[in-house]
Amino acid sequence: MADLIPLLLNLASFVLILVLVALGLVIVFGMMGVINMAHGELFMLGAYTVVAVEGAGGSFYLGALAAPLVVGLLGLAIEELLVRHIYRRTLDTILATWGLSIALKQAAVLVFGPQSHNATAPITSTFELMGASYPYYRLALMAVSVVIIALTFWAFRRTSFGLVARAVIARPETAACLGIDTRRVNRLSFALGSALAGLAGALVAPLISVDPQMGLGYLIPGFLSILVGGAGALSGVLIGAGVVGGANNLLTLWVSPVVAQIAVFLLAILAIRLRPNGILGGRDGG
Amino acid sequence: MAVRRFAAPSEVLAPRWLAVVVFLGLAGIPFLGGDYWTGQSTRYLCYGLFAMALSLVWGRGGILCFGQAIFFGMGGYAMAALTKHMGPDWLAGSLPALGIAVLLPALAAAAIGYFLFWGRGLGGPYLAIVTLALSIIGERLMVNWYAMGGFNGLLDVPVFSLGIPGFLPDTESPLPMFYLLLGVAAAVYLAIDRLLLSPFGILLTALRDNPRRAEFFGYEILPPKLEIFVLGAGLSGLAGGFFVAVDGFASPTLLGSGLSTEVLIWVALGGRGMPLAAFLGAIATRLIEGELAESLGNYWPLALGLLFMASVVLLPQGLIATPIGCLSGRRASAPATK
Repeated sequence: MADLIPLLLNLASFVLILVLVALGLVIVFGMMGVINMAHGELFMLGAYTVVAVEGAGGSFYLGALAAPLVVGLLGLAIEELLVRHIYRRTLDTILATWGLSIALKQAAVLVFGPQSHNATAPITSTFELMGASYPYYRLALMAVSVVIIALTFWAFRRTSFGLVARAVIARPETAACLGIDTRRVNRLSFALGSALAGLAGALVAPLISVDPQMGLGYLIPGFLSILVGGAGALSGVLIGAGVVGGANNLLTLWVSPVVAQIAVFLLAILAIRLRPNGILGGRDGG
Repeated sequence: MAVRRFAAPSEVLAPRWLAVVVFLGLAGIPFLGGDYWTGQSTRYLCYGLFAMALSLVWGRGGILCFGQAIFFGMGGYAMAALTKHMGPDWLAGSLPALGIAVLLPALAAAAIGYFLFWGRGLGGPYLAIVTLALSIIGERLMVNWYAMGGFNGLLDVPVFSLGIPGFLPDTESPLPMFYLLLGVAAAVYLAIDRLLLSPFGILLTALRDNPRRAEFFGYEILPPKLEIFVLGAGLSGLAGGFFVAVDGFASPTLLGSGLSTEVLIWVALGGRGMPLAAFLGAIATRLIEGELAESLGNYWPLALGLLFMASVVLLPQGLIATPIGCLSGRRASAPATK
């Protein structure tokens, strides 16, 4: 029991971060049909923003506030300079954003060097829970993640922006005919998705080593999550990330992390193949 | 010749005279570059073969594969393990090992391809993500497979030998291997050119451009898609087998997402629909990288990523294929499809 509690807490924090990453991906994918392969690098840049702010003498909180802003603005620029030109060319968005991800990775190498960096957590104290000690920071991280996830859902479900955004997702042409400025909605959504990635990166920065290659490790589970959960609905992300992230952590009870990761990837591929609309969706489509 | 009338303008092959010029031109490399560049170019020819394989799978089969290096690496590891006598002795010669280096990836591709494409197969973005995940699985497996050298891979792979005394001997000169590979590349190119002009090639184009319509005409989608995937995998395995024999070293990076990405970039920069352009894309990118790596250093991957991005957006047919398509006589004679 003593080692099960930390495991479950780690599982929860991993799943929540995965939800943040996958939410950004699914907003961009569902709304614009854009597969953003550079999403992992936006996540990475969020983490580097914290490292840079702390390096300049700022606090972690300043860095965590700056990260979504910086990355969101970068998202605006990416949308304007790159993604805008290849809407409706889904496969080309994969290639072009893959090129962007290579460039961003290398830019991080040039600016920060290839070695890994560390961010310091603002809260270093731990607490005792049934004999196991656990850092408060992870609890804070989970709380912040839950709030942000809830806010994102609220924004898409309950606000007029969400209504307009869902209209653009469902019928882009009709929405445009009704006078909705789809350019503005797309731009905002891309920036929002990017900001979520940046925030996720900033939040986990104190927990993992920050290096230029860190993006891929979250990009692929993120994508597998939205495909397992079903790319159609925002809520599918919760299920997908729960399954992918949960299985990944639970399997480490029995097998090594490498085997667990391979097993999760294979299971996710199997799920995507057999249930292209998500594990709770129908059997048809794809 | 009648077949050509069905080819869409953007899909024309490079003119044959250009292929002759290209391969003759490449034959001159040893006279210009000396032993170092001849040795490097031999590796680039392997990459060129690999790029042709991906241009078949992606450009013609419409399968955007982010894990093509799985098959390249599989061929490479098969070649390394067998010629190092880790398998049965009767397979330890270079030629039998090369045969396995082609067969093994082809069989793997048949299994993977069947799983991915049966029924309403995966396509588009789903396929890209799944193949990317597969390439990461492959790399992780090899890193942790200690019998196959684990992270360090297999070192000291014997050089390629046809087993004929005096012919392709284990000399210090890189020349025989260079010309052997140039010959193989030319032969493979000729075979691909013929294949794509055959009814099978036309069927592939039809399936890629409009699978539903092709299906209504009574064609099954799965067999040709599977065939081109298997063919591409076998060809990738051939390239990988040769590469390891030339390089003397098989490591997990041969299977990984890094090389899978690189080959995508070569093919995209060259021209996905035109095998000759893909081949040249690989060789040109590697040559430039070899030349500029020292002076540009860390800026090279940055430049390559941005160039890749720009070419996808502005010249999706490829930086090499577009001009070839313009000067090609074959394009002029091809009316638009109806």
